[in-house]
Amino acid sequence: MSPEMLAYPFLFIAIFFESFVLVTLLSKPARAARARARREALPSVAVIVPCWNEAATVAATCNSLLALDYPKEKLEVVLVDDGSTDATPTEMQRFAGHPQVRIVRKENGGKHTALNAGIAQTRAHLVGCLDADSFVEPDALREIIACFDDPKVMAATAAMSVHRPGNMLQYMQNAEYSFGITLRHAFASINGLYVTPGPFSFYRREIVEKLGGFRYGHQTEDMEMALRIQQAGYGIENAPKARVYTQAPATVTGLVKQRTRWTSGFLRNILGEYRGLIGSRRHSGLGMLVLPIALVAISSGIGLFLLMLFLSVERMIAALEIRAGIPLSYALLPHGTFDWFYFPVNFYLSLAVVVLLTSITLIAIGKRISKTPGNIAFGLISYTFLYGFIVPIWLIRATSDVVFGKRRNWRY
Amino acid sequence: MSLVARNALIALGITIVLVGTVAYSINYLNRARIAELSAIEDQLSIDTISLDTQFSLLEAAPCDSNASSTTLTSELADFGNRLSYAEGQLGSDDAQVIRLKEQYSLLEIRDYLLTRKIAEACGTKPVTVLYFYSNAGDCPDCDKAGYALSYLRNTYPALRVYSFDYNLDLGALRTLITVTKVRNSLPAFVINGKHSYGFTSLGDLEKQFPKGALATSTSVL
Repeated sequence: MSPEMLAYPFLFIAIFFESFVLVTLLSKPARAARARARREALPSVAVIVPCWNEAATVAATCNSLLALDYPKEKLEVVLVDDGSTDATPTEMQRFAGHPQVRIVRKENGGKHTALNAGIAQTRAHLVGCLDADSFVEPDALREIIACFDDPKVMAATAAMSVHRPGNMLQYMQNAEYSFGITLRHAFASINGLYVTPGPFSFYRREIVEKLGGFRYGHQTEDMEMALRIQQAGYGIENAPKARVYTQAPATVTGLVKQRTRWTSGFLRNILGEYRGLIGSRRHSGLGMLVLPIALVAISSGIGLFLLMLFLSVERMIAALEIRAGIPLSYALLPHGTFDWFYFPVNFYLSLAVVVLLTSITLIAIGKRISKTPGNIAFGLISYTFLYGFIVPIWLIRATSDVVFGKRRNWRY
Repeated sequence: MSLVARNALIALGITIVLVGTVAYSINYLNRARIAELSAIEDQLSIDTISLDTQFSLLEAAPCDSNASSTTLTSELADFGNRLSYAEGQLGSDDAQVIRLKEQYSLLEIRDYLLTRKIAEACGTKPVTVLYFYSNAGDCPDCDKAGYALSYLRNTYPALRVYSFDYNLDLGALRTLITVTKVRNSLPAFVINGKHSYGFTSLGDLEKQFPKGALATSTSVL
């Protein structure tokens, strides 16, 4: 058996998963969600902005919330300073007299405590969260509110993009976020969402209170809350046209740190308190499909990378051994003619190309359904050539952290 | 049936169709490669017989003729490269690959014999290498030896290298092995009739060639 054959099951599952997403996008619930009309009767809303040392962006974040197309008397912004040690309190103070803004200061206790402190300040029907490094489109809130027409829906998520990508790494993340828009939209159609991201997710206040508020969730409080909502049997919706922009890490180190936190948080939540959701027939979309495939994606990401590394090193060593002692003028140059006969196509590579092309299609669909402006060409190029090499780093790091019980600080 | 189950079944169907299409396309491409190899092999057969016949017809003055197997040897080498690539793609146990390898070996033997015949008749001294290899996993140095010979053939175009799979079950090849008395110690080389076994380096292999043969190796006809 050739080593490549180990990759076939993973590639088959990847194609199945992407096909499932495409089919689900064409299903009635997804079509209905895309055609969802905005509400005329609007509920009261509070947006909590938890801040810890966010002096550079908190003012812009708050201004983007105040610019939302929403009745002023029904929208309040709660800025929560979670014991910042920089100029965050001074920046917040600029909004002290604003009628829609409340400022809360507390000792540092983590994001979940900041969110709970903010929620305790409001009696609004819906409470939302916006990370202090994110910015919203003026119509985003109205798009999200429409999701709550269904009484079974207890939370709703937005469509995230990268705020002003400036380098190839950020363009790559922007393409990945577009992919995420498509996935969230499809997963929401089968109630398969397992995270309500920090940038602009909303909850019915009553459900947050009923479930006991936000908790420490292995540094992924947004995921922990979503899983708790799912476990309780409620629904999480998605508003694919509610555009929110978040700042993305500009360096590989920053990105790996961020994603290690996300992935290890996912594994700790899913393999810990919420293990019962995996394979749960009651949570069919989430339990039977989304969570198992997410776990397979992590193991296949690591497996395929190690396999690729092994094959590349093996072939490189073989090529070097064969060329040892042969003049470099011959050994380093390609030989033979450009002929279709030698076109290096095989089953393994062809399946990988199918997966990549479908991924690119899903990225393009995400951009289209969210109507996110901007050119995605750079994103697709960097996604194609960079993503596969960077993802395994955080997958291996996160898995190793979980296996060996290593905890990392949020910002370190 | 739930929406999830329905969509999963449809997705499974799509996946099977996609994977099946990829498998069919790869198989189609590989069959097209084999078809091209068969076409080349047919042409080479005709060329070899033509050259052989031409040589026989002009037996009285063979060296004055335009008959030349140099071009044929180069075409044979190209065919060998393609066959080697196809073998890598389809596997060495593929029936069509084995059939083509047998025909290729026959063509090589005929070209080798013809080269010797012309050399005897015309008094030329071509440098010929019979190279015996195995890809059954029992010859760790065969890849290195093959690459070194490719380099030598590329550097000295008049060098005639004939590669044979030692384990190929072909009567003519078995006879050649018997006649040339090549042992099953691979890689094995017969350079202008002189035997050597094993491969250590390009330099050591070059030492097996007749003195000055590589430097002065030019077209024999």
